[in-house]
Amino acid sequence: MLEIKPKPTAAAAPTHDRIRILSLLVEDGQNTLTKVSGVIRRRGFHVRGISVGPSRQPGRSRITLQIDHGHAEADQVRKQLERLVEVVEVEDLTGDEVHNRELVVARVAASELDALLKRGAKILSTGSDGTAVEFSGDAEQVADFVNELARHGIVDVVRSGPVVMRRTE
Amino acid sequence: MILEALEREGVEYIFGYPGGANLPIYQHLHEHPKLKHILVRHEQGAAHMADGYARACGKPGVVFATSGPGALNLVTGLCTAYMDSVPMIAITGQVVSTQVGRDAFQESDVIGATSSVTKHSYLVTKIDQLPRVIHEAFHIATTGRPGPVLIDICKDVQQADAERVTPQYIDLPGYKLNGHVNLDQARQAAHALAAAEQPVILAGHGVLLSHAERELMRLAEAAAAPVGTTLLGIGAFPVKHPLSLHMTGFMGTGWCLKAVQNADVLMMVGMRVDDRVTAKLSEFAPNVKTFIHVDIDESEMGKNVRPHIELVADARLALEAMLPHITKVDAGRAEWLAQIDKWREEHPLRYKQSNGQLQPQDVLIDMYRRTKSEAIVVADVGQNQIWAALWWNYDRPGLFINSGGSGTMGFALPAALGAKFGRPDVPVWCVAGEGGFVMTAQELSVAVEHQLDVKIVLLNNFSLGMVRQFQDDFYGGVRSQVDLTHMPDFVKLCEAYGLPALRVEKFEDIAPSFDAAERTKGPFLIDFRIDPEANVYPIVPLGKGLNEFREAPEYA
Repeated sequence: MLEIKPKPTAAAAPTHDRIRILSLLVEDGQNTLTKVSGVIRRRGFHVRGISVGPSRQPGRSRITLQIDHGHAEADQVRKQLERLVEVVEVEDLTGDEVHNRELVVARVAASELDALLKRGAKILSTGSDGTAVEFSGDAEQVADFVNELARHGIVDVVRSGPVVMRRTE
Repeated sequence: MILEALEREGVEYIFGYPGGANLPIYQHLHEHPKLKHILVRHEQGAAHMADGYARACGKPGVVFATSGPGALNLVTGLCTAYMDSVPMIAITGQVVSTQVGRDAFQESDVIGATSSVTKHSYLVTKIDQLPRVIHEAFHIATTGRPGPVLIDICKDVQQADAERVTPQYIDLPGYKLNGHVNLDQARQAAHALAAAEQPVILAGHGVLLSHAERELMRLAEAAAAPVGTTLLGIGAFPVKHPLSLHMTGFMGTGWCLKAVQNADVLMMVGMRVDDRVTAKLSEFAPNVKTFIHVDIDESEMGKNVRPHIELVADARLALEAMLPHITKVDAGRAEWLAQIDKWREEHPLRYKQSNGQLQPQDVLIDMYRRTKSEAIVVADVGQNQIWAALWWNYDRPGLFINSGGSGTMGFALPAALGAKFGRPDVPVWCVAGEGGFVMTAQELSVAVEHQLDVKIVLLNNFSLGMVRQFQDDFYGGVRSQVDLTHMPDFVKLCEAYGLPALRVEKFEDIAPSFDAAERTKGPFLIDFRIDPEANVYPIVPLGKGLNEFREAPEYA
């Protein structure tokens, strides 16, 4: 059985004030992800969370990054990523009112699902090797959920990176 | 198709080396007599030649190399160009597209290996991408902050037939050009500069790249603000101008460093403000109340020094926009300039002249007198570079070429040859130490083959002089692996390559040797056996602030 240690949430991390949340619109291409990660490595930044998916525009993807800017000035992450020809736009969402969601899918021993369901988990399938559930929430809720899972005997768990969108009031 | 596209972009010279994966291009080279191909002896030489060519004439340098080792040999040259913002197009052959990823013969991940040393790169696997890619590559390499762009073209694409397509427009939504000036910020910057009690302007390579020298001079004179240049900014402001501080940085002049450390407003134009300029960052320009930073690359703002006023713009446009707002300057300006003149007298550049050994400065000063500020000097890296920077009074842009950011030994000879291809009308001098020279000495063949009129001044001290000086001063005086006594006889080496050369060991022989070099058409080398203990001064000890610069001991 996997032992899952809860990932420190952004709030709990000592480097909290160095975390930027960026939303990138990028051109799809063989080299795009390499270029983005290359800049992050070369400039001494650290990825805390990443998710990639298609955007509304054909041929372009949305990358959401949670990133530690290390010893550099906070805005350097955005500026360095902006330099890439593959990167169409970078939006810095740090400190903004946002929807910040992560997805977790887990397989647990079938017995005690009530506590999970009460938190809002959804059952995806049941079988002889356990029950698959999904849950989504902000980083803190997901971390709590995974802690809860640990008490229920996790068979397997996968978590997505964050997807973040600015709230428009 | 590739060659046609290059013709369309106005390419004149290609520096290259053929091999398995770019043979289809070479097969058709002879059909394009407008493209002059220079066969180098090592791909690194090709990259530096293209670099020297681009820096001398302003057009992008073009390089060909084959896949695998051929392309990887370009990496140092690409990095050199990238660090110094030099426009370059590298076209490398890649294995057949269906072989990519199978570890084919001479296959390597060239895009992966060069991504961090190119402004942009392309892997071309289909013929229909090619016209657009080549056109975009030239656009990206030459606009904004220039830089090298690599195009890796699979061999089957080179062989494919295609209809001629001329791309109509460039569609690069992710490529941001910061040309325009925020007029409000320009006005603020101008007011801050004019109102400063002790202003200093530092000018970098960006001033030369945007041809902002005239605007810089007009602004400096209007604001009565002294101007220092970075190593790469040399030529942006005439050294003999009364407002000149000459070179800044950890090997800059004493009066410039004093001025920077006492300035209350520091305007930095077209520069990266790197560690060689600031020395210890926390002690850089401690009295500055207002940093003004002008650069076309937004990411330079606050990368090293946080400016209070930032102008993300082309240097020429930014300085032009500031000029009308400089009206009345601070009343204490005369006092500040007098103080700088005093520092200039107190901390002159000086060197040992009387110990009977040949001093590098003697060589350079004689050379300077002859060339009357007409020649391009291409320096290598190390002591020779700093001597060549400090002991010439460059009074025009484009006369000093060297590898500043990357500090690539072996740069000078191939870059000087490239510079001569780019500016055949201008005398070109190559200044190098023997250590760097032998790293790319094989390119002498190119000099001889094309009878390039490049004069090579070898400042030979039989050691890695700068490393030796650092070891002496900052590493406990332990001289480790700096002894280069086992070097070729350079006169005989040149004979073997087919160019004339002289050895000079005495001061009296400097002038006659230069006479001989100038009389000779074509390449010429002078092996100056200089004082092996000659040092670069001033110098700021590693890890110290600029105000702690050490000067040459006073000699009788």
